[in-house]
Amino acid sequence: MTDKVKKRLYIFLVSIITIIIIGKFILDSLQKNVVYFFSPTELYNSTELPNGLIRVGGMVKKDSLVKNGNRYQFIITDFKQEINVKYTGLKPNLFVEGQGAVVEGRLKTRTSLEAETILAKHDENYMPKEVADALKKSGDWNKKYGK
Amino acid sequence: MASNVANFILLLAIFSSFISNLFFFKKKYSLSIKFFNYSSLLVIFSFCLLVYFFCTSNFSISAVYENSHTLKPFFYKLAGTWGNHEGSLLLFVTIIAGFGSLFSYLFRKEEMYHFKSWVIFFQNNIYLIFLIFLISTSNPFDMIIPHPQEGLGLNPILQDPLLVLHPPFLYLGYVGFSLTLSLVLSGLVLRQLDNNWASIVWPWVMIAWVFLSIGICLGSIWAYYELGWGGYWFWDPVENASLMPWLAATALIHSLLVLKTKNQMRNWTSLLAILTFSFSLLGTFLVRSGVLNSVHAFANDPERGVFILIIIFVITLASFIIHAIYSSRTISIGNNFFFSKESFLNINNLFLLFFLFVVLIGTIYPIILSIFNETISIGPVYYNTILAPFVFIFLLAMSVGPLLKWSNKINLSYFGFLFVTFSISLCLSILIIILTNQNQLALFLGLLTSLVLILTIIFEFVKNKLFLKAYYYPRVLSHLGVGILLLSIFLNGFYSESKDFEIQLGENKEFNNLSLKFVNQDIYKINNYLEMKTDFEISKDNQIFTLKPSVRRYFQPVQITSETSIKPTILSNHYLAVNFPNQNENVLGARYYFNFFIHGIWLGMFLIVVGGMFSAFKKRN
Repeated sequence: MTDKVKKRLYIFLVSIITIIIIGKFILDSLQKNVVYFFSPTELYNSTELPNGLIRVGGMVKKDSLVKNGNRYQFIITDFKQEINVKYTGLKPNLFVEGQGAVVEGRLKTRTSLEAETILAKHDENYMPKEVADALKKSGDWNKKYGK
Repeated sequence: MASNVANFILLLAIFSSFISNLFFFKKKYSLSIKFFNYSSLLVIFSFCLLVYFFCTSNFSISAVYENSHTLKPFFYKLAGTWGNHEGSLLLFVTIIAGFGSLFSYLFRKEEMYHFKSWVIFFQNNIYLIFLIFLISTSNPFDMIIPHPQEGLGLNPILQDPLLVLHPPFLYLGYVGFSLTLSLVLSGLVLRQLDNNWASIVWPWVMIAWVFLSIGICLGSIWAYYELGWGGYWFWDPVENASLMPWLAATALIHSLLVLKTKNQMRNWTSLLAILTFSFSLLGTFLVRSGVLNSVHAFANDPERGVFILIIIFVITLASFIIHAIYSSRTISIGNNFFFSKESFLNINNLFLLFFLFVVLIGTIYPIILSIFNETISIGPVYYNTILAPFVFIFLLAMSVGPLLKWSNKINLSYFGFLFVTFSISLCLSILIIILTNQNQLALFLGLLTSLVLILTIIFEFVKNKLFLKAYYYPRVLSHLGVGILLLSIFLNGFYSESKDFEIQLGENKEFNNLSLKFVNQDIYKINNYLEMKTDFEISKDNQIFTLKPSVRRYFQPVQITSETSIKPTILSNHYLAVNFPNQNENVLGARYYFNFFIHGIWLGMFLIVVGGMFSAFKKRN
């Protein structure tokens, strides 16, 4: 092997190793920080309950909201399954019973969740795709939600 | 009538653009450039027409009808022109044409006339693609019959002075890189990619970069004042979409520097230039197509999204093919010494591309998964944890790199000098950590590395009397800006506080050494919104001031916007935002943020931009 080839081989090996290390690093961080979205039905059907932060979306069930100081309790439903949510903090303005909502938090049991955030939305017509799909199936779809 | 005239002008523009191509193939270069300029004038004129229609509320034009209203203030009527898909696309096309014409006007080297005509040829074709897309899928001059009397109005969250300027600046940046692409492709085809070429390209890249930087800053400032979430950057995909071309362009600038002085890194530079424009297009696509759910998404029509995607694909692929055919085969690996300027510029490029890659993955991974019906989101933690360690090294390299000489031995005197700044920074950051009792490794490393950068630049500035040499201003100012920006980001991240609370009229809340009293509340009904204005009395360290946050609920469409109230002090901001009270209750939700060192963030951004301006307009020999 000439010096030139040796040098190239060396550069090649070093870059491959760097790429692998960096790739592993990114993947690990991704896995740790990705927040998955579930509908209540998906949670009900899942064999293994997800650990860590998750998002759950659906409609806030009518007359389910109970307020005690800044502690809230409500039910999120996709009209098949329901999830009880507990939340402490400020209620965003556009969080209303009978409207779509997404909450982020940790599961306590299969049907109850301790929420850390209720996701703020820009306008009332915004609806997560899963909620929309779930609602379309159950026939409770209002045209004003859009396409 | 109005619509017909405007459409005719656009068709004429397409026609002359075709003629320009025709003359180019017939090797009649001066005519080709002339016709491109005619076409460009026509498109600029049609954009002025659209502005005129918006300002005079001409509702026979559907874009005006859908996005304007007679009651809107003049300023927002004007802004409505680019506050919608069709208008913003026309602006996009107009800017492509404008950059081309500006280049043909300013570039007057007779001996490079051939090169100039190639540049105009490429620019003309990028322009033509978007012009055809505009007319076929999103014509801004579509007519409505019968004419409506009143328009539908502009999205209220967009009615903000900063947002009037934010899109045009971003576009000037994004689209400015189209000229860079044309310059690179011409350089490749004519095999003139050398140091001479690099100095021609330099000001054009810098101008686009400055515009893009200003656009990003305006967006960030807007988010801080208008969204009411207390922050300036949320790692939102929409923000990332503008950060990616910025990172690519910043890498491009640094590799151009090597090409300009050492005549090396040709292929790499041209590759970066192609990447920069591709990421600009990707940014436009992500933001405008409706793939991401945000205020920016205009086109809810999936067909348009697919079109933009095809355009990106075609332009990028064509550029890569040209690159593959014409890039120089002789790879000139100089006998580079590690501690040399060029090797540190290489390191800069690798780091910037790594940052770009991390942001890219975080932005498009959720989109790709959503195709497979899996919804995920990636939070700020992902970006912060991956980027932070590399940012530390990056800052150190940034302190050392500029001190080194081109391909030369180390100047040992600089190492003594670096040792001094390093020791001072070390003492300072340990002092800060101990005094504030914040024992966090990330904070310590962040303070240390950004202080090293800042102090090194300041010492160098004073010691070498750089203030006498305008040549160094761009680098010194921008790098100092980066140092201050990152220092402030670390300080802000670790010393800011926030508190969510509920409060009644007349009630007093205490936290830390701050007391907050809700003293007044008024609700007004104005035109198409309800506004609740509140007064809070804050007292801290014997200092009393009032914050007056308000919140608006718009009726059509229903939307809530926050008018935050901010009290700046020397080192920080007191920031307060309120929610509407819950129904049948008189409790009000409020968010208080103590934003430490936020001024430093704006100052850092400002210096980066000013450095870029110096570089774009500095005298060249």
